[in-house]
Amino acid sequence: MRRIAVALWNPIVAKEYRSRMRTWRSPVAMTVYILLLGGLGWAIFSAMSASTHSAFNQGQAASFGQGLFIYLVLFQMVLLAFITPALTAGAISSERERQTIDLLFVTKLPSFSILWGKLLASMSFVLLLLLLSVPIFSLVFFFGGIELDQLAAAFLVTAVAALTLGIIGLACSTAFNRTLPATVAAYGGAFILLAGSLLFGLLFPTDIDPNATNAPAPPAVSYLSPVLPLVTIGTNAPVTWYGVRNSQGYGTSASCASPAYGPTTCVPLGPNGVPIGKGGLIRNPPQPSGTTIPSGLFSGWQYWQASVTMQLLVSLAALVLSALLLPPIRRLPWRKSPVSA
Amino acid sequence: MIAVEGLTKVYGRRTALDHASFEVPKGEIFGFVGPNGAGKTTTLRILAALLEPTSGRAFVDGADVLQHPNLVHERLGYMPDFFGVYDQLTAVEYLDFYAACYRQPKARRQKIADDLLELVGLSDRRDQSVDTLSRGLKQRLCLARALVHDPAVLLLDEPASGLDPRARVEMREILKELQKMGKTIVISSHILPELTELCTMVGIIDQGRIRATGPVQDVIRQLTIGRRLRISVVGQREEAIAVLKPLPSIREAGMVNGAIEAAFEGDEATAASILQTLIAAGIKVSGFNQLDGGLEDAFLKATSENLG
Repeated sequence: MRRIAVALWNPIVAKEYRSRMRTWRSPVAMTVYILLLGGLGWAIFSAMSASTHSAFNQGQAASFGQGLFIYLVLFQMVLLAFITPALTAGAISSERERQTIDLLFVTKLPSFSILWGKLLASMSFVLLLLLLSVPIFSLVFFFGGIELDQLAAAFLVTAVAALTLGIIGLACSTAFNRTLPATVAAYGGAFILLAGSLLFGLLFPTDIDPNATNAPAPPAVSYLSPVLPLVTIGTNAPVTWYGVRNSQGYGTSASCASPAYGPTTCVPLGPNGVPIGKGGLIRNPPQPSGTTIPSGLFSGWQYWQASVTMQLLVSLAALVLSALLLPPIRRLPWRKSPVSA
Repeated sequence: MIAVEGLTKVYGRRTALDHASFEVPKGEIFGFVGPNGAGKTTTLRILAALLEPTSGRAFVDGADVLQHPNLVHERLGYMPDFFGVYDQLTAVEYLDFYAACYRQPKARRQKIADDLLELVGLSDRRDQSVDTLSRGLKQRLCLARALVHDPAVLLLDEPASGLDPRARVEMREILKELQKMGKTIVISSHILPELTELCTMVGIIDQGRIRATGPVQDVIRQLTIGRRLRISVVGQREEAIAVLKPLPSIREAGMVNGAIEAAFEGDEATAASILQTLIAAGIKVSGFNQLDGGLEDAFLKATSENLG
């Protein structure tokens, strides 16, 4: 137990806290963060107030609360995607640039403790930002439409995504000697994680299997992005708008018949309304219901569960890579030891 | 205490260290001398388990630097030639941080920091931000940092570089104090007169090869061509030179700055017999002493063999 406590709380954490909180940057970053997040909330509230001439009814308020929540969580994610890589991308490379890294290597701190200390110190600041945003998010409860468990799930997804971005930044900082290329690579990694994985779902959507018994789901790669789970948590509705080819098309490009007995069947139609395909009637694909992933690798999981799992796997891989790259004498398994004289 | 056996380090096509071997017994101050790029820093970084040798072995207090780097780090304090300090930390916090990194108990860290600040003469700067200290004071603080875990061995890479003469003298006094405390010190430097005065042993390295190693005076004797005598006489200078030149032990003799200088080969007894010969020849000798060739001569001799 004591060993775990020592590993978790190493001197680097205390030193980083001390150094970070003695500069003007930290309070400024916190203030700007809150102003931006609060400003967005205020802007949405103002827009909503302007468009509503009478008092909200309960349904409108809930819908407004949901909308506000989704905007806030997505905006918070974007803000953290800008902040987190900046916090960790210089963690190791700046020690190299300052020529202080050797002084750490000759202490009793194992390389992993150095990484862990740097990560913990950076992520504590991210956690502080998340905590600072709680009062802004609590405004959502004035309108309703969002439950406490949704807020908790959204914060968990955001925190894990920020952790992943932080560890990717740390890996870049370990791999590159200079902070500038490490930062560029870390932002590249953040873009791939947040937007690239979503783009993958748009470019390579899941094809509908006419014989499938479950509704189609977006490709698993797209769960790497926290955007999908955050929207799902906010809307509390199935994903019908993304990642599945022609999932919206059957209403307009197919002629469907619903007999009294048996499944609904559709005939796909060409551009001029003429039925196409040899097979004649095809089964109408089942539509997703609820917020679980209807099929695929994570079938039956919540989107946020799949997203958190995949991001933690990426984090673990990046952390292992960093731990292999950091030591001054790398003990890579495939390398031979030097020959004794 | 320190043993280096056939250490070689190759960077691409360049051999930075070529089968270097030497030993430093406990309690010695070992001066590591060589021109820029000779392989001094490479050797010290290998000894500090910060660099992997291409071949060869190195031991610090019995611990193999490759097999047991953690033991090596416990037993040595390392001060690199270039180093940075952290912003936003005071001198005492800086030492406290490194003491914590060496897993010193929290209850002892304050005393360790205060004692070391006193040793290096920075007690009055304990609460000053480290990034505002002068280079000389940073060097002293870095030396204190290398001592936070009370190591038996100190590796100091150019500790006096960039220091003004006063700061150098102060650094030398601190190192003498550390020697009295029983530390084994390896110090690389370009400032040879200081090393002659400070070091008990010396190793001369050039182009990655150890040219000479051993006690300072032995290395000087080993490398300087013969030994020199400076003889003062009352008048009779020509006669004295005429007496000296035919002697088989004398290689050359002549006037230098108003006195006779003679190069000879032999030991103390040879020098004594030369003096007896002069007196027996009726020369009035008013001064007779041996000139120390010095580490600088030895260094130039050792490193000039590869020139041209």
